[in-house]
Amino acid sequence: MRNTRRIRNTRRTLLIALAATGALVSVAACGSGSGSSSSSGDSKTYTFWDPYPQFDASSDWGKRVAQCGTQAGVKIKRTAYDTSDLGNKALLAAQQGNAPDVMLVDNPVVSTLVEAGILNKTSDLGLDTSAIQKNIIGAGTLDGSAYGIPVGANTLALYYNKKILAAAHVDPASVKDWGSLTAALAKVKAAGKKGITFSAINTEEGSFQFLPWFWGAGGDLTKLNSAEGVAALTLWKGWVDSGYAPKDVLNNTQTTSWQEFATGDYAFSENGTWQLGNADKAGFGYGIINIPAQKGGSAPVPTGGEFVTVPVQKDTGRYGVSKKIVTCLTSAGSLLATDTTLMYVAPTAAVQAQQVARNPELKPWVTAVAAARGRTSGGLGTKYPTISQPLWTAVQSALSGGKSPQGALDVAQSAAGKG
Amino acid sequence: MKSRGYTVIGLVLTALMLFPVYWMLNVSLTPQQDMRKSPPDLFPLHPTFEGYRAVLDDQLPYLGTSLLIGIGTVALTLLIAAPAGYWLAKLRSRTGGALSLALLIAQMIPGIVMAMGFYGFFLDLGLLNSWWGLIIADSTIAVPFGVMIFTAFMSGIPGELISAALIDGAGTWRTFRSVVLPLSRNAIVTVSLFGFLWAWSDFVFANTLDGGGSWRPITLGIYKYIGNNNQEWNAIMATAVVASVPAAVLLVLAQRYVAAGVTAGAVKD
Amino acid sequence: MALNPRVGGGWSRSSPRPFGARQLAGLAFIAPLLAYLSAFYAYPLYRNLDLSLRDYTVRSFVQGDAPYSGWDNFSTVLHDPTFWPAMRNTMVFTFVSIVFQYAAGLALAVFFNRHFRLASTLRALFLIPWLLPLIVSASTWSWMFNSESGVVNYGLHLVGVDPVGWLTSPDWALTSVIVANIWIGIPFNLVILYSGLQNIPAELYEAASLDGAGAWQQFRRITFPLLRPVSAITLLLGLVYTLKVFDLIWIMTKGGPGDSSSTLATWSYQLGFGTLLPKFGPGAAVGNILILIALVFGLLYIRVQRRQES
Repeated sequence: MRNTRRIRNTRRTLLIALAATGALVSVAACGSGSGSSSSSGDSKTYTFWDPYPQFDASSDWGKRVAQCGTQAGVKIKRTAYDTSDLGNKALLAAQQGNAPDVMLVDNPVVSTLVEAGILNKTSDLGLDTSAIQKNIIGAGTLDGSAYGIPVGANTLALYYNKKILAAAHVDPASVKDWGSLTAALAKVKAAGKKGITFSAINTEEGSFQFLPWFWGAGGDLTKLNSAEGVAALTLWKGWVDSGYAPKDVLNNTQTTSWQEFATGDYAFSENGTWQLGNADKAGFGYGIINIPAQKGGSAPVPTGGEFVTVPVQKDTGRYGVSKKIVTCLTSAGSLLATDTTLMYVAPTAAVQAQQVARNPELKPWVTAVAAARGRTSGGLGTKYPTISQPLWTAVQSALSGGKSPQGALDVAQSAAGKG
Repeated sequence: MKSRGYTVIGLVLTALMLFPVYWMLNVSLTPQQDMRKSPPDLFPLHPTFEGYRAVLDDQLPYLGTSLLIGIGTVALTLLIAAPAGYWLAKLRSRTGGALSLALLIAQMIPGIVMAMGFYGFFLDLGLLNSWWGLIIADSTIAVPFGVMIFTAFMSGIPGELISAALIDGAGTWRTFRSVVLPLSRNAIVTVSLFGFLWAWSDFVFANTLDGGGSWRPITLGIYKYIGNNNQEWNAIMATAVVASVPAAVLLVLAQRYVAAGVTAGAVKD
Repeated sequence: MALNPRVGGGWSRSSPRPFGARQLAGLAFIAPLLAYLSAFYAYPLYRNLDLSLRDYTVRSFVQGDAPYSGWDNFSTVLHDPTFWPAMRNTMVFTFVSIVFQYAAGLALAVFFNRHFRLASTLRALFLIPWLLPLIVSASTWSWMFNSESGVVNYGLHLVGVDPVGWLTSPDWALTSVIVANIWIGIPFNLVILYSGLQNIPAELYEAASLDGAGAWQQFRRITFPLLRPVSAITLLLGLVYTLKVFDLIWIMTKGGPGDSSSTLATWSYQLGFGTLLPKFGPGAAVGNILILIALVFGLLYIRVQRRQES
């Protein structure tokens, strides 16, 4: 541009530029040091974060949160963030000494926040967690201490399209292990329909969906490239290569994968509890089976769902009210309503029984949740994210044909080892 | 006649170029259950207006916020960039060159790098989730560009005009206001338009800095449909269509000035 | 007389130091920009630099006591198996996009410079892709490129070509995002180059055709050389806006499959925000490498500009 022509001596200019930026930087740095504000709100307003932007203030969830504030005698300022952003926002906020008073986070994020030292133990706050199922609270438990209370749990199972299976002469009850599932997919394809949809996207969702198969083969997250892991990835790759699963599983989120199933062309979909409402709207008969393990039986599935946590505050006097809010949100009456809204399975046996009494379709889900594992459980904690990312990358490179399952998982294991 | 041949070629090229836009319209009218039909419907034979109903129900406040943020960004950008451009073009001392280079580099910094720095900073100042915070962030895309355009344009204003004004007794500020600015109309329109368009279509800053605000711009409104919980293509595309209208009107109105403004520096040599 | 009080207070032009007064007035013109740049550019960049030079864990990030680790993050990033693919993808993405945007924009500008019916209407229609929020164009393209229900594969099917895994095959993902980016960039190139063309005097062409020069000759000897300054701006701005493209790629492929379409911008985001356990240090280091590349290109541009003028 014309103005730049005036620059006569590039090298000197660069020096000046660097010097100028340096000066500005030091000014800015001094200016910012003292600026951080301490408290996250006044004593009558409590901040509350959750990952449910789909619920506004007038929704059942929004009203429940506000009501729990009123019961505790304060006003709640609720902010809803996208799930994928919430963990980072919490870290940044805590760094600035501005963490919210109460926060709902996705369960695998809990261990990261604990590692950062920004969550209070539930025992320190005097919250009672004895009624919660062990495997559900496991995702929020580190070194024997729980750092949050689950509001509910969800997990994965296989939805199937009754009409397609009937047309292909497949009895859903015959799907008991990987062999019979693949055979069913072959029959469906031979009948001119499409096999199965799932999500193998390169985000946490991809790992979440892959885990039932990985664990179902007996895989261990600390040894990604073991024979069991390779078997699971080979199964998925085989489906994609034989056309039993569409190529676009690589771009599918769980939502888009569901939409494919909702077209009525697919026999199976690996998806979660939260799709039940949509399943009723899909306009065809559907059923649900648990995800089979390699050699039969139900595969262990990962737990999904959020935890209510209380981040560390400078002003510890705020914990009393925060505790009241948490108790209100996780009380039996509240859980039933919340989990009905979210289409989650409740974390306590008593509320689960109430849910099933109301809606018998939830029965297989309650069973699945009982058999589910936390992704960060088993002492993995913050190691899980450093394993999960190489894992979804490996799934991507194998399914897209870039690498063999063994080769992809070898790379993943060495990356996870470093992480 | 030869001209008719060109018109035909022109029509074909335009049709090719606009196919994705047509497709967007087509999808916005397609009912959810036909979305993944194979082969896809090439024409909206059974149009649904569900998508548009969703937009009118949900998205109007988002559109309003985007309009506010767009206008605010333009105002802030002009306020900072126009005087600075004048300084670089006519008043500067030698450090100006370094500043120009810094501005050039500033334009190449990815928004995501900036966004992360902004987050902590905004949290301190309490600017998060506010529309005026987003105006500040969005203006960082437009200010360096604006300064470059103003500098280029104002360099082309004859020095005699300015000297004459100064001799007539006008101060630097009045010269700027009543001589330089009116002559820079093209540059003002260009910078305003770009500033507006960038603010209007910004997603990275909006998502990082205003993700939980009660005043959120239209790009986040669209993202609501793309996010984890649903993916309703007809609603996404309907919002897109509606969101494109104000920008389209603006661009068609201002097209002439834009080209003149952007090329001012180079063409007038 | 006094300067406008808003600018410099009571200094007058007849004061003993008119030069100083003028400089002070000038300062008022540039001061807002300097304040603005230091608050909203220098400070975020300083934060970013600081992040990249320390060994941050999530804990030390929150406590603010991360130890200084020198160039460790940079060396981690440079030795990461993703680095070279991301670098190569960034370069390919940037240069292929710019070349095609420019070539298409120039061809169209020359085409629309002929006078034919509807020329100005069609030219205005060409600008529409520019107006769509990026998030919209990216979504539209990813839907069109969908390997199962996308209209592009349907078009291929009609002419007897097998479906292509546009976004799902490592061989095609980068191509797909480049195609979408070129589409978005053409209008901008068209507008600027067209207005450049209009400033070339028609007499030059008349003289050339009297001399018997054909259309190609005219383009090579008149259009292209006279368009050079405009081309330089177009290419520079193209570079500026292409190097940092993030939303488009993130929405279409998230850098995948594997890392086959990840660029430095998407990788930086992936490291810092894309996983459950953010790696702020390496993420910031990648961001800084990107800024360094921008700096190199900026200097290169200035050099070329100077050589052209001398």
